[in-house]
Amino acid sequence: MSKPELWVIAERRLDHVEPTTFQLLTKARQLAGDRFHTVAILFEATNDHLETELQPYAPDEIRIVRDDRFPTATDAEHADALAQLVAQYQPNSILFGATITGRSIAPRLQAKLLTGLTADCLDLRFDDETLVATKPSYGDNIMCEIICPDHRPQMATVRPNTFVAEPATGTAELTPVTVAFHPVERLQVKTATPVVNTATTVGDASRVVALGRGAANTATIDTATRLAEKLGGRIGVSRPLTDLDRFTHDDQIGQSGNTIHPDLILNFGISGAVQYLVGMQSAKTIVAVNSDSNAPIFDVADYGYVGDANAFMTALLAQFV
Amino acid sequence: MSSTTAAAEKLLLQMVDDYTEREISPQDMPMDQAGDFPEGFIQHLTDTGFLGIMLPQEFGGAGFGPEITASVLNHIARGNASTAVTLEGHFKTVDQILKFGTPALQKQLLPTANDRIFAFSMTEASGGSNPLGISSTATREGNHWVLNGDKIMITNGGLAAVYCVLVKTAPQELSVFVVDQDMPGFSFGKREDFIGLRGTPVGEIVMDHIIVDDDHLLGKLGDGGRIGDSAHDDARILMGAVLTGIMEHDLKIATDYAKERKAGQTPLTDLQVTHRKIADIAMRKETTKLLYQRADQLKAAGKPYSEEAAMAKAHGSRAAVSAGDDTLQILAGYGYSREYPVEHLIRDARAMEIAEGTVEKMRSAIAKAEFNK
Amino acid sequence: MKPKTIVVCIKQVPETNEVTIDPQTHNLDRRGLAGIMNPFDKNAVEQALQLADQTPAKVVLLSMGPDDYAESLREGMAMGADAGYLLSDRAFAGADTLATGYVIAQAIKQIGEVDLVLFGRQAVDADTGQVGPIVAEFLHQPQITYAASLRLSGDNEITAERLLEDTKQTLVAQLPAVVTVRSELNTPRYPTPRNIQLSFEKPLTIWHHDDLDLDDSRLGQAGSPTIVTKVYEPKPTKRELTSLTGTPTEAASQLIKALKAHQLI
Repeated sequence: MSKPELWVIAERRLDHVEPTTFQLLTKARQLAGDRFHTVAILFEATNDHLETELQPYAPDEIRIVRDDRFPTATDAEHADALAQLVAQYQPNSILFGATITGRSIAPRLQAKLLTGLTADCLDLRFDDETLVATKPSYGDNIMCEIICPDHRPQMATVRPNTFVAEPATGTAELTPVTVAFHPVERLQVKTATPVVNTATTVGDASRVVALGRGAANTATIDTATRLAEKLGGRIGVSRPLTDLDRFTHDDQIGQSGNTIHPDLILNFGISGAVQYLVGMQSAKTIVAVNSDSNAPIFDVADYGYVGDANAFMTALLAQFV
Repeated sequence: MSSTTAAAEKLLLQMVDDYTEREISPQDMPMDQAGDFPEGFIQHLTDTGFLGIMLPQEFGGAGFGPEITASVLNHIARGNASTAVTLEGHFKTVDQILKFGTPALQKQLLPTANDRIFAFSMTEASGGSNPLGISSTATREGNHWVLNGDKIMITNGGLAAVYCVLVKTAPQELSVFVVDQDMPGFSFGKREDFIGLRGTPVGEIVMDHIIVDDDHLLGKLGDGGRIGDSAHDDARILMGAVLTGIMEHDLKIATDYAKERKAGQTPLTDLQVTHRKIADIAMRKETTKLLYQRADQLKAAGKPYSEEAAMAKAHGSRAAVSAGDDTLQILAGYGYSREYPVEHLIRDARAMEIAEGTVEKMRSAIAKAEFNK
Repeated sequence: MKPKTIVVCIKQVPETNEVTIDPQTHNLDRRGLAGIMNPFDKNAVEQALQLADQTPAKVVLLSMGPDDYAESLREGMAMGADAGYLLSDRAFAGADTLATGYVIAQAIKQIGEVDLVLFGRQAVDADTGQVGPIVAEFLHQPQITYAASLRLSGDNEITAERLLEDTKQTLVAQLPAVVTVRSELNTPRYPTPRNIQLSFEKPLTIWHHDDLDLDDSRLGQAGSPTIVTKVYEPKPTKRELTSLTGTPTEAASQLIKALKAHQLI
């Protein structure tokens, strides 16, 4: 008997593949072992070759559906095409990135297939052939493990940057497949303009200087900005500081904000609410400076200093060569 | 109370809390520093319908009762006392027009009370506690009244559009007329530079030969003293609600701080000196709340409430000054800093030992009421 | 022209996300938490009211949940919506997104001749954002998710902007359609005190199981493919802490040494 299939839906981002797809392909390989057949599903125009971007992550197979209408297809058209593929191949599980696109197509497909979908997952594992998806709720304060025991396929959207993409050895089999494209005339994409978004999010930085309620005054923020520049990194903030004019959701760590895993994070004046800690605990090295020696942040830190944030930062800056 | 009324009041307070948190609290410190409401602040408050909370629905208002109206001011004052006091000045004035105005005057004026602030003006520069010492007059000329005089220390003076003014209609006769800022002869004078409640304007109006018809007389000729007393009583209840809100603000600052800080190795929450101060603030807050709510219950039941209203203000204002002082002491150096709100909460509370009758006057009134029992 | 009917689907959520797990029962402890309208849904209500300013329209609120969810409906009516429907029945309890979407879609069919269905981007408690697209599929209608702006662009047509991570789309849909809105698209109005009072004179209808045309196998727990097997508070992984000591200058020097050793600087 052939192995059950574990699918990753490749998402297009302008002329490239969205990075969450690579993260999911890596995770899918780890989950699959030799029990599952991992498949990347790719929709592209007839002259596209986005599969070359998928190949380094070595799924067992890449199924390519080509139609010039796909790059601008709507959610319902994508869901319709996927439903045809599901009917044909009967996959065990389907993973989407929890991007805007993924979170729009996946539930539409779920409703077509009358199956279960778990949103915005932070962890995945298989118990035999049952997918156990860990989903945050209540602004990441609570985690739920969710299964879909009696319906197939099992579906999940996975929060970007939850897993780390790692290229793998192995050769993906390329399989062209066809589906009938059913256009939905009642909805048209009239224009699609790339947004030149030079603003990075804190999730992109490998070095982060994170500020919380205890480091919220202007002088401390200014010192932190200089420190972040010196480190070649970026400022991140916990939830209370997003109320300040100079920070936005792009700067927030944790709580439906950004899950990050930089090489180094320096936390100043952050006591460490659970959702914050969960959002940054996969950083390679964690440093915490807080005036309260009992702050939970110290439990997850590699290096800790009890004292004033601004004084410590100033001392740190003074000693940088 | 019907279940609909209870549900509506719950929804109202939910909206007020939301509005206070998002629109009012962030302006608390800037308002104190600037000595004024920010640009557009009162317009937004007006557009959101706050001026009509206690105005009956037949005049386009919301028609909420006196007790929930006091609660609204209490909740607003947790975020900022100036906003609550500006509404207090408006509500107490509208209340007197509801009590003493003729149906024709009410029909003419009250629909505009949703969009325009009303103010009550009694004080004059001559000062003194004898209302008959005022020099503003209304004199009969033909079929009209002609108003002349100068009124100072008016809550919302300069901001309000409509003013109830206490004037003499005869050497021993006080009456109240309603004038509008658009009337010929009406002008604004100087604005006070007070140390507390700095958002709320307190200012002067000048009446130079303002001509009004009989229909602008509130109540009857000679009702001035009675109407003035009634306005004071209603204002004092609402001030009790505002003072309770200030103490709730103090209590939040004090407990938040104590929970975060240590003296040496000991958390402030483990120190008896902290316990004593927090407990005192809490007791002062609660006694003030009971007093103003008691006065409001009597008012709602149609019983005399003058003495209880005086108690709410006299007790509440000193209680709030002391609560601020204790909060300042818990925060120590931070409490004394202008970067923290505590010091201005003391200045805000201090205003209410003077406004709407000094605490000394309140005590005289309370004592007289006791002698007469 | 016939007035449009706009349905806004809303959910009541706890007023705070600071929930804990009862150590005995391992269930969520939501005791004492007041319910409020999901904040993202207020953007949808506001959007509907703005469309109703643009063209004659009736704004109808729809929610599913226990009877006390009527409070959120009332709040939406105090913002200006014309009527509310609450879908309340024990048979609906325990529904996941699929079973919830089914009942809501059936209710929308029952309301009849609905031109536009609006949703907030997601509920702040469950954070799924799935019910909108599910309802769109069940109603066989086009969907526009995460709309950043929305207007009527013709008698029977809407135009929306949709902001993907790196692309701005302009979409045009023929009504009827389903739209989920981003929170950035508007600032919801406050219910005025007067409208709070007047909202109690507007019709709020409670529909139970028998009021709707339903397939029982698709309701509640039985109709929900997913099962929550475990609920827990995340426990961040503890690490071995090296304390930096002394003055800030001394401590900073210790840190620099350590970071250099790890080649982090």
